[in-house]
Amino acid sequence: MKQVFQLPPWAISTESTLYNKTGSWRNYRPVYRNRIPPCNNACPSGEKIQQYIDILNQEEGLYKAWKLLTQDNPFPAVCGRVCFHPCENSCNRSDYDEPINIHTIERFIGDIGLNEGFKWRLPRVNKKYKIAIIGAGPAGLSCAYHLRRRGYQSTIFEADNKLGGLLSQGIPSYRLPQDIVQAEIARIIKSDVKIHSNTAIGNEYDFDKLLKEYKTVFIAIGAHKEKKLGIPGAEHPSVIPALEFLYQLCAGKRVKIGQRVGIIGGGNSALDAARSVLRLGKKPIVIYRRTENEMPAILDEIQEAKEEQIEFVFLAAPERIIIRNNKIVSLECIKMKLGQADKTGRRQPIPIKGSDFKVGVDTIIPAIGEEVDTSFIPGSFLKVLDDTVSTNYEGVFAGGDAVTGPKTVVDAIGAGKKAAHLIHCYLRQVCLPVGASEKPVVFEDLNTAYFEHETRIPSGKLPLSSRLKTFAEVYQGYEKPQLKQECSRCFSCGVCNKCDNCFVFCPDMSVNKRAGKYEFDYDYCKGCGVCVLECPRNAIGLVQEER
Amino acid sequence: MKFTIPQEENMHPGHLACPGCGGALAMRLALKALGKKTMVVLPACCWSIINGPFPYSAVKVPLFHTAFETAGSVSSGIKAALDILGKKDITVLAWAGDGGTFDIGLQALSAAAERNDDFIYVCYDNEAYMNTGIQRSSATPWGAWSSTTPAAKEEPKKNIMDIMVAHRIPYAATASVSYPDDFIRKLKRAKDIKGTRFIHALVCCPTGWKCSSEISIKLTRLAVQSGIFPLYEVENGLKYTLNKPQQISPDNKLIRSYLGAQGRFANLSEKDTKKIVADIKSEWLRLLNKIEGNICIKQ
Ligand SMILES: Cc1cc2nc3c(=O)[nH]c(=O)nc-3n(C[C@H](O)[C@H](O)[C@H](O)COP(=O)(O)OP(=O)(O)OC[C@H]3O[C@@H](n4cnc5c(N)ncnc54)[C@H](O)[C@@H]3O)c2cc1C
Ligand SMILES: Cc1ncc(C[n+]2csc(CCOP(=O)(O)OP(=O)(O)O)c2C)c(N)n1
Ligand code: SF4
Ligand code: SF4
Ligand code: SF4
Ligand SMILES: [Mg+2]
Repeated sequence: MKQVFQLPPWAISTESTLYNKTGSWRNYRPVYRNRIPPCNNACPSGEKIQQYIDILNQEEGLYKAWKLLTQDNPFPAVCGRVCFHPCENSCNRSDYDEPINIHTIERFIGDIGLNEGFKWRLPRVNKKYKIAIIGAGPAGLSCAYHLRRRGYQSTIFEADNKLGGLLSQGIPSYRLPQDIVQAEIARIIKSDVKIHSNTAIGNEYDFDKLLKEYKTVFIAIGAHKEKKLGIPGAEHPSVIPALEFLYQLCAGKRVKIGQRVGIIGGGNSALDAARSVLRLGKKPIVIYRRTENEMPAILDEIQEAKEEQIEFVFLAAPERIIIRNNKIVSLECIKMKLGQADKTGRRQPIPIKGSDFKVGVDTIIPAIGEEVDTSFIPGSFLKVLDDTVSTNYEGVFAGGDAVTGPKTVVDAIGAGKKAAHLIHCYLRQVCLPVGASEKPVVFEDLNTAYFEHETRIPSGKLPLSSRLKTFAEVYQGYEKPQLKQECSRCFSCGVCNKCDNCFVFCPDMSVNKRAGKYEFDYDYCKGCGVCVLECPRNAIGLVQEER
Repeated sequence: MKFTIPQEENMHPGHLACPGCGGALAMRLALKALGKKTMVVLPACCWSIINGPFPYSAVKVPLFHTAFETAGSVSSGIKAALDILGKKDITVLAWAGDGGTFDIGLQALSAAAERNDDFIYVCYDNEAYMNTGIQRSSATPWGAWSSTTPAAKEEPKKNIMDIMVAHRIPYAATASVSYPDDFIRKLKRAKDIKGTRFIHALVCCPTGWKCSSEISIKLTRLAVQSGIFPLYEVENGLKYTLNKPQQISPDNKLIRSYLGAQGRFANLSEKDTKKIVADIKSEWLRLLNKIEGNICIKQ
């Protein structure tokens, strides 16, 4: 036994508390989980937006971001310019200050891809399967690309001499320069996709023959048949349907129009026609049955048309075209008022009796909508089964505007992607789920204490003065510093971006960082839930411990 | 935004703090800031338990358990002993609860501060004697339940910062674990100053505040945001600096959500709540006046 003087003056601890596995106290267990960001969820082509923004934030390189983006959408430079960006409408940042400028980020990545000549590494082609695609619009091309990613080669039949559908036959170059469209298309074609242009199915090539030869067909013919104006005078040669007018412009041809051009409609075709007329040095007047609020055109485009001081006549519908000496002198319209909302939620216009008035014009461009022309298809192939892109005929699929009626580029791209998936399932007789069905992260799930208010960085834009007389592109996109700044605004909803909060706030040192990854130390974690609440992005869940 | 806090970990898990203890996190952050060359002086308080039973310890630095009322005097003594041994690079850190600071330890602390003895004193204030069963202290806020104020406490919280500032010590600051960057900066700053340095850190005790453990950090953040516990520093008893001013807006909604989340305030009537809101607002204005007063000392 030790003598008293040999002992220390007081008791000294010699061990650590590591002996005490406080994990046994726990009723709930924190778990890292990645949730679905609402932006990704809203993108019809399923882009992993949060993830490519994170790649840029972690400075892992533009190629990596481009590769990830184009896994879902082969048209980032196109979509970065003309997409309606539903992703931004559901961006959680809108509830805080302003949504992330996703489409301008996407555009930057797309443009870098083209400038640097980024390439995909695709699997070898399996020639066993023959697949035909009718129509080289965004739906058809997207389908060809996504098939190619799965190792299938397809053959596209396109009626026109140019590829791209409305991307090269409709949308004017001040919004979408042709070299961009053609460069993104060329990248797809070069990946080993067969093309027969100037080959309209029905005219140059019989549909039945096609079906016999290919067995698997994707119909993506768009909606190009103009609705008839159907008012007295509509047959006059100075009445030029919008699609035809825009088609000629896209083809670089001159179209004869007068000095004052009445454009009828409120969609993208109407606004594109009006803004093109303006750029040709003539006076456009847009006549629309409803008000600005109901206009179906993309919001940015309405804004720009207003900036360009395009004249609008709202709540007016054309009644007849007044012609003197074989020339159009004016358009007689009737005033409308808005009535009840219909099943699409839009309020229906109702004419006001005796309110006729005249708008002085010498040319008229109706842009009142397009329909699908399926006259070349025997029977009714386009009866599409519910939400899918399968038709009621085995081996025949359909998608894009051809099924939905005039919609959007990214919806068409999404439909092409879905078709490729279902064609793969059909050919291999497998059934794979299309996508996740978990609930995306909502704003209330976030802990905004760690976010500062920062204004959205706008895309560069041509000044008004230099854009009225040319077809030069209006938007200029980002430079690198702006890209960086805008990306840094992203909340990374539902997905860990290594902010360290869980690590910093754990009172029990139970969050370990190993090789850039976080792990809970369940030996000691007491399940307090602090990390769960302090994770700004809801990337940690709390689950009850089993007893 | 990403916190850049020292990677160095000077505390072990397995300690005995309740889940979500703000006091445990406070020690973890403080030891990150001060580093291994630190000696902790610990009067009786929750941390006496948290650190573990003999022969175990949760911290990787020497920690001296001492009597409830003696944090100030024992720290003075240890510092003097270190000086005699020529060990000048060791920081002495007194680490006491609100009971050990506002109440029973006030004399020893005041005496040490008057002598300007060279140590850092951190009061981790969980607003009651939590260790012994949630008895009220003079740091318990007006209107709060405690086991010795079963209806509600009828006296306001003592203003310990004013008391310590009146000693004209070189550095006094409030700090919160909900703002780890600010917390660590203050401890590092204190380390570089000689003399008595005092840090008042409000920390959530989920057990005593009767709230769920996961909101521990959120509550002390709300305390800062609502103006209940503003973050500020005072140099030499004169120069006030408000920290994170853009975070603070003493408004009704924030104060109410702070009170509403805690069971210890469940008995408050609407009239009581209004009084609390008014008191907080006037305390906030008083603080702003002191900050304004800076201009006078500069002239
Ligand atoms: C003026 C205008 C502006 C627009 N602006 C926007 C915009 O800013 N943003 C947006 O998201 N959307 C916009 N849209 C809509 C968008 O262009 C379409 O939704 C999209 O192009 C549909 O793609 P798709 O592949 O289904 O069809 P399309 O792009 O129409 O392509 C169909 C292709 O099929 C070919 N085809 C048709 N019939 C046959 C046949 N029998 N045989 C062989 N080939 C055939 C056509 O020649 C065409 O190339 C706009 C549309 C117009 C008209
Ligand atoms: C002189 C003396 N009186 C009473 C006690 C019992 N005691 C130990 S800790 C404590 C309360 C400590 O309260 P506080 O300082 O606020 O620390 P907390 O436990 O809340 O962390 C009391 C009363 C004691 N240890 N010594
Ligand atoms: S903040 Fe980022 S992750 Fe969240 S919805 Fe917006 S873009 Fe997506
Ligand atoms: S903060 Fe720490 S102890 Fe609490 S649940 Fe998270 S890992 Fe566990
Ligand atoms: S707190 Fe930060 S590091 Fe931890 S899971 Fe959430 S995002 Fe990732
Ligand atoms: Mg206490």
